[in-house]
Amino acid sequence: MALIEVKNLSVFFEAGDRIVQAVKDVSLSVDEKESYGLVGESGSGKSTILRAICGLAPISRGEILIGGEPLLTPRGKAFTRKVQMVFQDPYASIHPRHTIDRTLSEPLAIHGIGNTDARVVQALRDVGLPESFRFRYPHQLSGGQRQRVAIARALMLEPEILLLDEPTSALDASVQAETLNLLNRLRAERGLTFLMVSHDLAVVDHMCERVLVMQHGRAVEEMENGALANASMKTDYARMLYEASADRMLG
Amino acid sequence: MSLLTVKNLRVTFDTEAGKVEAVRGVNFTLGRERLGIVGESGSGKTMTGRSILRLVRKPGRIEADEMTFDGIDLMKASERQMRALRGPRIAMVMQDPKYSLNPVMKIGRQLTEGLRLREKISDKEARAKAIAALEAVKIRDPERVMEAWPHELSGGMGQRVMIAMMLIPNPDLLIADEPTSALDVTVQAEVLKILDDLVKERGMGLIFVSHDLRLVSQFCDRVLVMYKGRVVEEVEASKLMEAKHPYTQGLLNCLPRIGGGRGPLPSLDRSAPWAEA
Repeated sequence: MALIEVKNLSVFFEAGDRIVQAVKDVSLSVDEKESYGLVGESGSGKSTILRAICGLAPISRGEILIGGEPLLTPRGKAFTRKVQMVFQDPYASIHPRHTIDRTLSEPLAIHGIGNTDARVVQALRDVGLPESFRFRYPHQLSGGQRQRVAIARALMLEPEILLLDEPTSALDASVQAETLNLLNRLRAERGLTFLMVSHDLAVVDHMCERVLVMQHGRAVEEMENGALANASMKTDYARMLYEASADRMLG
Repeated sequence: MSLLTVKNLRVTFDTEAGKVEAVRGVNFTLGRERLGIVGESGSGKTMTGRSILRLVRKPGRIEADEMTFDGIDLMKASERQMRALRGPRIAMVMQDPKYSLNPVMKIGRQLTEGLRLREKISDKEARAKAIAALEAVKIRDPERVMEAWPHELSGGMGQRVMIAMMLIPNPDLLIADEPTSALDVTVQAEVLKILDDLVKERGMGLIFVSHDLRLVSQFCDRVLVMYKGRVVEEVEASKLMEAKHPYTQGLLNCLPRIGGGRGPLPSLDRSAPWAEA
């Protein structure tokens, strides 16, 4: 059964006196324990879909179902225990004046989960950070380490679904490799479902079983993992993205 | 004769916690060719680019056994001489148009500001030159862009405006610091094509600083690979895949590839002997 179902979703924003249609009539479904990718250029609406799921963007038309249930507005605690998001920029998404310990224990406090001490230590260990980082501040960590903290924070409530918004595009290639490996390991260990946004086809191909290519807020083409590898995309736009991908440059 | 010679360049920051050496003894020469400098963040690639223009802020110090540009000793040049070089002879394109364009000045005014100050030409002439420059970087409707504010431009347009601005005085050397990393792949390809054509047509020297090894190899003639402030390897771009140094190989292998295996990506081994010192 599909765990995430997005049906004919449209997202409109009012910008002054005009209406911006960020997402137009997009449908997709993600199975349990699947990893599903959204690719497209900036402004294609891929991040907006994740934000609409979380309640950070309005659902103007259509509906989103998680585990067959329609979403509540506001989303509520049951939702946040099930769905968590990792944002693009680890420099901006972690509170700069909270220690790592506070960042990681806050979700536990909100949800009234005890045993904070052991859970925080375990969370750091799970993402491969030394325990000594616990009482540091974000500015004392590198970009890759911060993204590990952001992933640890998202996993504190043991969600089933992780929404990943360009989780590695702010990172160096070598750190990207480590972070992608970490995400894959966590998915295998915990049976997570990923909905992942990236502009990098190679990253999405590496991480996801299915990919949806988006352009100007619309879904262009959905591909199985193999279709990318043997370049059997049907639409011109998907082919253009494929041709422009840096991966092609090495020949 | 080479356009630029750099010997034993060092950039040091004296901080309270002691000396931090951002660049540690970099050597290279550049003709009228395209040289790529690649490395991870903190490898000193940007500082190397900025040192050539002596744009390193205190407490940073630049030291070099030799740094000459077209017969001019950059280490001994006065601040006045440097200012005459920056722009007309050596230009730099910065990474992010969002932060590098003046947000409260219209594009047209920013493009012509330097011209009017430097060449003392009329507003009308300056405007014509600016429009020609915008056309050279393939901006449609340059008249409209001249009247636009920076926030009204997309990332790709902003980046092209910055390139246009740098090209107006027709420099001999262009230093591009991650000029396309803030852009989408399709726009990236366009901007690179424009840079490439300009370098070829005008016979400029180009230093292309980037963290993206694949991009650099496709676009440059020669590549310097930097790690912790040192050049660990210099390779012909066309032979990048045959690179010997474990760091270069590590950088290449850790990138996911379309149709590649789904297994864990090889990560860099920083404990190897080459990473020391």
